[in-house]
Amino acid sequence: MTSMFGASVYRVEDDRLIRGRGAYLDDLGEDALAAAFVRSPHAHALVTGVDVGGALDVAGLVAIYTYEDLPDRLAEPLPLLIPHPALTHGRTPYPLANGEVNHVGEPVVMVVATDRYLAEDAAGQIIVSYQPLPPVVGIEDARKAAHLVHSDVPGNLAANAVQERGNTAAAIAAAPHVLELDLDIERSASTPLEGRGVLASWDQQSGRLRMWTSTQTSTGVRAAVAAKLGLALSDIDVITPDVGGGFGVKIVHPWPEEVLVPWAARLLGRPVKFTEDRREHFIASAHERAQQHHVTVGFDDNGRITGLDVRFWHDNGAYVPYGLIVPIVTSTQLLGPYKPDAYRVEFDSLYTNTVLVTPYRGAGRPHGCFVMERTMDAIAASLGLDRTVVRERNFIQPEEMPYDQGLIFQDGRPLIYDSGDYPALLAKLKDLIGWDEFTAFRETARKQGRRVGIGLACYVEGTGVGPYEGGHVVVETSGKVKVATGLTSQGQGHQTILAQLVADELGVPMGDVEVVTGDTRRFGYAVGTFASRTAVMSGSAVTLAARKAKEKALRVAAEALEVSASDLEIVGGMVGVKGDPDSRIGLGTVAVLSNPLRYAFDEAAKAATQFAGRGDVTKPPVGQDDEPGIEGRAYFSPVRSTFASGMHAAIVETDPDTAEITILRYCVVHDCGRLINPRIVEGQIHGGVAQGVGGALYERMAYDEAGQLVNASFMDFLMPYVSEVPARIEIDHLETPSPLNPLGIKGAGEAGVIPGAAVLASAIEDAEGIPVRSMPMSPSDLFELRRKHGQETAS
Amino acid sequence: MKISGVATMHAPAGQVFAALTDPAVLVVTIPGCERLDPTGPDSYRFTITAGVASIQGTYIGEISLSQQREPSSFLLTASGAGGPGTVTTSVQVRLAATTDGLTELSYDADAVIGGMIAGVGQRMLASVAKRMAGEFFSSVNSILSGNVVVPAQPGPLAIPGPSEPAAPSVPAAYVAPVRAAAAGQGFTRGVLVGAAVALAGVAVGALAGRRTR
Repeated sequence: MTSMFGASVYRVEDDRLIRGRGAYLDDLGEDALAAAFVRSPHAHALVTGVDVGGALDVAGLVAIYTYEDLPDRLAEPLPLLIPHPALTHGRTPYPLANGEVNHVGEPVVMVVATDRYLAEDAAGQIIVSYQPLPPVVGIEDARKAAHLVHSDVPGNLAANAVQERGNTAAAIAAAPHVLELDLDIERSASTPLEGRGVLASWDQQSGRLRMWTSTQTSTGVRAAVAAKLGLALSDIDVITPDVGGGFGVKIVHPWPEEVLVPWAARLLGRPVKFTEDRREHFIASAHERAQQHHVTVGFDDNGRITGLDVRFWHDNGAYVPYGLIVPIVTSTQLLGPYKPDAYRVEFDSLYTNTVLVTPYRGAGRPHGCFVMERTMDAIAASLGLDRTVVRERNFIQPEEMPYDQGLIFQDGRPLIYDSGDYPALLAKLKDLIGWDEFTAFRETARKQGRRVGIGLACYVEGTGVGPYEGGHVVVETSGKVKVATGLTSQGQGHQTILAQLVADELGVPMGDVEVVTGDTRRFGYAVGTFASRTAVMSGSAVTLAARKAKEKALRVAAEALEVSASDLEIVGGMVGVKGDPDSRIGLGTVAVLSNPLRYAFDEAAKAATQFAGRGDVTKPPVGQDDEPGIEGRAYFSPVRSTFASGMHAAIVETDPDTAEITILRYCVVHDCGRLINPRIVEGQIHGGVAQGVGGALYERMAYDEAGQLVNASFMDFLMPYVSEVPARIEIDHLETPSPLNPLGIKGAGEAGVIPGAAVLASAIEDAEGIPVRSMPMSPSDLFELRRKHGQETAS
Repeated sequence: MKISGVATMHAPAGQVFAALTDPAVLVVTIPGCERLDPTGPDSYRFTITAGVASIQGTYIGEISLSQQREPSSFLLTASGAGGPGTVTTSVQVRLAATTDGLTELSYDADAVIGGMIAGVGQRMLASVAKRMAGEFFSSVNSILSGNVVVPAQPGPLAIPGPSEPAAPSVPAAYVAPVRAAAAGQGFTRGVLVGAAVALAGVAVGALAGRRTR
């Protein structure tokens, strides 16, 4: 039987989902009450009164709650999920505003009614009085601190953090060449197709809560809800249904709605459901990507960086429940595949009266990559060197692996690259895009009056972040294999790749393996889906669990067949002596035999009963340290993250008159170690590239000076359609296996998006001959850039 | 959002000034205005029903007239909130006599729009505001030229006691006559204006999007 590992099998999820048989959050809870929220229309204000009189007459109204109704732990701010010593002034929101609102969209009143329409009717009648306060909008405003977001946070500074290796100031002072750059990226957002939603049901008889939520971490939500509602973990089930995309925004937990809805369900004794609409997703979930950076880089005549100093300012919105992960990832992953002699990075994380900021696919790496890659291009330009040559001269060489960058990564562990071959990646990329042939192409185009440019960008991505994941594999008496892991799925094909791994390990047909993710009833210890970690963490865990199950199966079969376990193999779900097809028994039968029975419940079970003639009567039926059944449970916890890498190149054409930007070719070379399912990896890359193109050319959150999000709908927030994404994304692979997990794999989930802004900036700069230092770049932005550059060069 | 414009008013500046600062006139000329309750000298609580395309709502808030330099200028400030959002605005109004005995009115408005209409209605806000301003000025002109008579307002509710001096007769509230048809018209027109603006935007976008490949 051919190995499933490395096979591009079709996804097992798709048949059901494409036929409309998905069960997303809003498909559930038909008989549930509906919750709606009154949200702040002001960016910064005191709440001076709530008048619910007008809502009381709305038919179908069940309850109205404000902050004053919240008891005990619910009246405290929501948890600060990832504390950090540098986060000296962390602030998180209350589930319902406690006298003050800090961004447009912050929930103030919760209304529960018999359906969502009536709940919104009632919410529309509630009059909240506000006393507006001056809002802080944008990084400049936050730094100037003429006004404060939180009155007890001076300078709007949530955190200031520094990491350094080597003596950067001295290195830059001694460098033959020094450049300074200012680089900006604008705010965007994950924008999954399905927004957030939560359904909760309280069982009075058993005193247990059951919740469904569109989240990236079932166990995280369970722990938070248990803490807020004073329940035992074992009294809460959290089930993640089909999820229509997460991309980072759904890793934040608990949202106010995720604690308020179960609380209301328990109070009211009826199931309660909340699903957000698109406007709520824009103003009440999370954004990401806004940062401003100042770079000082010292380098020698060859373009080798001797000292790199990066100072940046991160806009974290009104609250920081997710801590400093995004700027920490920028700080560390900015280094990419390079080894500057000395490196210093310092950032300020600043509050503004805007939606809170949490990771979005890439989680700070796109910013870091943008900064590093623009700097590389600037060095090349100043020395008149080819951009690939400058990069080659700065690469960490394969023989230097494992390479310690001397910093602390986002998992709290040393930033040590385990494996990778950056020179080989670059060689493949140059070959794929035809880097050396581009000059001729540009000349031909120029003669036709066309303006074309080529760019590249390199990145390194820490994947498979800990602390752990677990897997459970059980062979049922039918021969079917049930697999469970605690983290969640949002459409990545987890059920497929995990089934491939278990099928391979156990020797069963893939069709006999069923995988469940994100259900605390099936697996209770987990972390969540983020940081491109599922394949590494859960993949390794279910593989190890399957190995345990297999070992048990072989032992039981060996006893039954009266041979040695080492003579046995499992092929196609049948256990038999190697090379002897007649001796086989099914795994299902082995499962029956593994559980000594007193009562046979069916024909097959008779074989395991006490008079069936099996078993050694001088030994107990279940041995010491043994268990009934064919099951394996295992946890995988690596010593640190494993580092994937990749490089993108693009050829763009800009219109000399309209400044419209068209991508002519887009090439990706990618190293995520060994591939479980190449088709799924390509799918992840395609999706990531689409998001990278969106972020580079179209997406920005437009806040006005009053803190109003003026493009809070898809009419005005531009996301790429299929027409904006390159029709063909050319992909080539390199595999440098990871030494840190049994499968040798690295994560692939975020890779496609990381260099998007950097590579397109590089190509546009090449086409125009104008430095590109901020993204996104729309045709209007490019037009304006040309005009300003024309004015500057003229004067 | 900043908008400004001019309008020709059919009366000398003094009459125009008096009309524009008279709540009895304002309550029947501000589009969608249902009532104005005096809360102080030249300050009123307003109830206005207005629509931005299909997002219609009733807004409640405060309006006040200040910096009055009769007959040449005054400042109008207003701040209100309703289901669809919030509006805070200040409008500087200037009047200048023209050669033919009429008045040229110029206004400069600075408005902050918040809430849902700010998030989804950006493209329509300026045109809706200008349309409302246009309706307002033509309603005022109808009154100035005598074509429309300002309806009498209900009398004061308080009856002065024997020891109190007679209070000046200020109506308790200024109420617009029920204009169900007009309100519907305004709403429909709002929808049509909004739809037209949106379609125009789509048409322009489609034309611009045609590329030669």
